[in-house]
Amino acid sequence: MRLKDVLGEISTALANLEGAEKVQSLIEDALSQNIPVSEIVEKGLRPGLRQVGAKYETGEYFLAELLFAASILDEVMRFMKPKLDAQPMRKIGTILLGTVRGDMHDIGKNVFKMIAVSTGFEVNDLNVDVDPELFVQQSKQTGPDILGLSCLLTTALPEINVVIDLLRQSKIRDRVKVLIGGNAVTKEYAREVGADAAALDAVEGVDFCRGAVKS
Amino acid sequence: MTPRERIRKAMDFEPVDAIPWAENFYVETVSRFFSQGLPANEVMITDWKMEGYTLLNWPTFIGVDANSYFGCINFFGCVLPVDLATIPRFKQRKVGEDAKYEEYIMESGARSRIPKKGSRETTWYAMPQFYSFPVSDRNSWERYKERLNPEDLRRYPKDWDPDAYSEVFDQYQVGPTCLAMTGFYGFGAELMGIPNFNLAFYKDPELIRDMITHWEYLTIETTREAVEALRDKIDMVFWWEDMAEKHGPNISPKLYREFLLPHYKKVTAFLNKNSIRRIMMDSDGNTQPILDLVIEAGITGHWPLEVNSGMDVRLLRKRYGNKLFLSGNLDKREIAKGGQHMRNEIDSKLLPMKETGGYIVGLDHLVHVEFTVQRFKEYADYIKTKLAME
Repeated sequence: MRLKDVLGEISTALANLEGAEKVQSLIEDALSQNIPVSEIVEKGLRPGLRQVGAKYETGEYFLAELLFAASILDEVMRFMKPKLDAQPMRKIGTILLGTVRGDMHDIGKNVFKMIAVSTGFEVNDLNVDVDPELFVQQSKQTGPDILGLSCLLTTALPEINVVIDLLRQSKIRDRVKVLIGGNAVTKEYAREVGADAAALDAVEGVDFCRGAVKS
Repeated sequence: MTPRERIRKAMDFEPVDAIPWAENFYVETVSRFFSQGLPANEVMITDWKMEGYTLLNWPTFIGVDANSYFGCINFFGCVLPVDLATIPRFKQRKVGEDAKYEEYIMESGARSRIPKKGSRETTWYAMPQFYSFPVSDRNSWERYKERLNPEDLRRYPKDWDPDAYSEVFDQYQVGPTCLAMTGFYGFGAELMGIPNFNLAFYKDPELIRDMITHWEYLTIETTREAVEALRDKIDMVFWWEDMAEKHGPNISPKLYREFLLPHYKKVTAFLNKNSIRRIMMDSDGNTQPILDLVIEAGITGHWPLEVNSGMDVRLLRKRYGNKLFLSGNLDKREIAKGGQHMRNEIDSKLLPMKETGGYIVGLDHLVHVEFTVQRFKEYADYIKTKLAME
């Protein structure tokens, strides 16, 4: 198999959810052709993941398919870890993430995190029910490109505003893009509280992050 | 018409004298309503009961009936008392704590974290955070299955007597009589957690097939005696699923068709054979991509039709005609704002749905704690002036 073909095959196998075993065997082919790990990730796995995202956006795939794609990626990345350690990948950006105070929901946040990590972001996940002060303190300390605030409950929605206000008071609002997501958020609410964007699903959220670090 | 007659006719797309109005309240909402002036003496229900320890009959708190106070129907006012859950339950108990949280084993066997009482104001439905689940693979499922035995005598109440229950069901007129069940997605997600259950459709499809096949067996065989005894006295089935989020269903139509549909069909065939034809699915989120399959499964109604997930009762009616009776869809966020927001939301949905029939009006979820009792009363007072048919 030629270089271009095997990377395309990796991408297609991931996009079609052909399973970790199949993707891993194609990666072994690529490695046997001395294709660098970074190229396998950049030109094989990431385009495949983007296709998964596109299929999700167009309604061909749903949550189960997203989770399965993320689990395939997780398995093959573990397989490639020794090689990745030897040739570390450049992270495309950093995300500080958490579910706001008063809300213990984490499924959407975790799906977003899986896709973001697979896409090449470094994600610092503060988990759920996170105090606003902790978001601000961590933003100051680690300087993320994006602060991701997740909120499922309408009762916890005002917490987003509290975090953004604290960022302003701490004079670091302009240093970080604020992305909000979760069932309770809307685009209108994002505008109202001065967030940079609202993502209606995990794929849209990661797309925003990619755009944010490019700009 | 009694409220029961009215809601049955609405579910059957027959003419009604007024659109039925149904709501379900979070316990915490009612609790907050008390602190805001809801008169406890008008909503607390007490009765004389043997409390379970001695032979003594004694006045006992049974619960709270906010529905009657506000004038709305409760889907769960008269439910067939068949236990379709885990037997024996896991003993719910605290298993750990730190400065902020307590950790519990729940009755399903899942483990959860809950903020400590008094640490701050919290809402119970925001909690708990489930961090581990009782089923993770074939072995844990085989062990759990022992607690899902339809032959277990504890699935029927101590006072089970078909004739006596039949009389109670006949007398009940303030809402529908109901058989409450858990669906094939909801049950698996509850036992494995949503991510692991979803992944298992791809990673261990045989486990999923076995779980769903067993759930069908449990559902039919547990309810068989009661369903066959009461048959036409059961007005509706309330089938809890919660299988969608804002973007769409958690599983694709393809997986639904392959794994779930055959089992739904067997349960709905069993219900139909016993003259139970009003079968309502409860699922939050955007269910639209699977609704054709839901109808094919034999489900005839849908609640709560969350606006925030893109559900619109008017469009659904255009698309599905009288294949689905519809319930809910008043945007809780607009209604909770009160005033013109509330009135516009009601008028824009209720008036067109009066034309089509097959509609039970109500919020697009349970009554949340954002409502004050005053706002809910304002909503109740307004909607009650709009229910009657012209």
